[in-house]
Amino acid sequence: MRYFPLLIALLVFFSSFLVEKKGKLHPYKLEYPTSFGSRFTIPDDNPMTEEGVALGRMLFYEPLLSSTNTVACASCHKQANAFSDDRQLSIGVSGTPTRRNSMSLVNLLWVKNLFWDGRANGLENQAVFPLTHPDEMGQSLEASAKKLAKTRLYPPLFQEVFGTSVITGEQITKALAQFERTLISANSPYDRSLKGETTLSASEQRGRDLFMRGPAPERGVRGGNCAHCHGGAKLMQEVFHNNGLDSIAVADRGRQEITTDGLDNGRFRVVTLRNIALTAPYMHDGRFASFEQVLDHYNEHFHFSPNLSHELRTSHNEPTGQRLGLTSSEKKDIIAFLHTLTDSTFVTNPAFANPFRKH
Amino acid sequence: MIHTSIKLLLSGILVLLFATKGLLAQTISVTGEVKTPLTLTASDLQALERAELTAKDRDGKEHRYAGVLLTTVLRKAGVTLGGELRGENLSKYVIAKAGDGYEVLFSLAEVDAEFSGRTILVADSADGAPLAQGVGPFRLVIPNEKRPARWIRELKSLEIRFAK
Repeated sequence: MRYFPLLIALLVFFSSFLVEKKGKLHPYKLEYPTSFGSRFTIPDDNPMTEEGVALGRMLFYEPLLSSTNTVACASCHKQANAFSDDRQLSIGVSGTPTRRNSMSLVNLLWVKNLFWDGRANGLENQAVFPLTHPDEMGQSLEASAKKLAKTRLYPPLFQEVFGTSVITGEQITKALAQFERTLISANSPYDRSLKGETTLSASEQRGRDLFMRGPAPERGVRGGNCAHCHGGAKLMQEVFHNNGLDSIAVADRGRQEITTDGLDNGRFRVVTLRNIALTAPYMHDGRFASFEQVLDHYNEHFHFSPNLSHELRTSHNEPTGQRLGLTSSEKKDIIAFLHTLTDSTFVTNPAFANPFRKH
Repeated sequence: MIHTSIKLLLSGILVLLFATKGLLAQTISVTGEVKTPLTLTASDLQALERAELTAKDRDGKEHRYAGVLLTTVLRKAGVTLGGELRGENLSKYVIAKAGDGYEVLFSLAEVDAEFSGRTILVADSADGAPLAQGVGPFRLVIPNEKRPARWIRELKSLEIRFAK
């Protein structure tokens, strides 16, 4: 009984270590414009921490996560390309091109259903696809976890972030998701013009107005109606549309492959246009190399597929027009505006860069 | 020349088949804070008490819409309307979702005619014809709203939730 106070003292002493260990993780503070809103969910079992984000960033650039030790997430999602790549289709471990164009990773915090076809709910689930696909990184999560466990670098980092000595595939996807949630872009010249910090050129302003407005020829209003689908503070809505790339989508049915619903034939994600000047080529199959080709498609030669987006079907600048009917100088103005969506601070932000690269 | 016309004919048939198949497969689901979750087909909707109303679409013209009142659908699912729409039930809302993922919200109180005096129709026809592809098979029609942004086309689901 004499030793009882000592015992208590020892217990308190050791428990203080436990508390301290837990307290070492620093909550990550997300920063984004209030206009973006808080319509997002971070899973309860994967709260964001500074340490988790840092680990996720390392994993994002880690080629050990591929079967050949040569391909990382960053291979097809390069910061300089707003976390997309410049290929029509990407090349992974097999050398066989992927089926679709690499998506830009930006403001994914606000996206619920990821991929061109919306197949994955949440970034944790999303990461499994590229990691394990035979034409992307081609390695099971278990194999990745084992490889990382053999390094000197990773075990202590996983221990710190997840509090367990065994690295698991789930932890890998959780850390990657934490990093990806930090990829927020909100500082383009367009954003700065909204805050009055810069002024767009005359052509950019005309382009902005055309971008934002729907045409109403009966009232003499001309517009591109781009913002109907690509609008809002984030220049993105989470919708899936058929934009008339094919009369019927056969080779790639898009969202129909997930929902099996005929009305979803050839429907693909309406992508954000942030940093769009950096992410060519365009469309899910990278068929368009330039803005000019994209604008020509929307303006002049989309197919009237049965489930063509209602907005494309009904936006006409000429009273008897079947298509958009913008002039070539109007298209040039819209392209000038699209260039103002490039956030150079995002693509050069050191917090998102390769942590292994020596400067 | 013959080849081209056969091709055109075939692709026309394909488009038609595709369109019909798509429309027939469509349903509206009613889920969330309901007594009985529902999945309604076009014929289920025909079997419910029918309603008609006239309203101005985006084209500025009056159209005659037919279908089923939204409250009829919600009552069938056992949603708290009428006398039950009191107390905490006034903090319920409806998320209506379209085929492309577009979502709009109504407070439960505003959709109940007994409460708000408003009428909302789940339409399946306009001016006597089924709704066009890309609009139907089901569309919400909300007369008297100054902007038709909640008249969602290709209505796919209604989810009733509590504000938390």
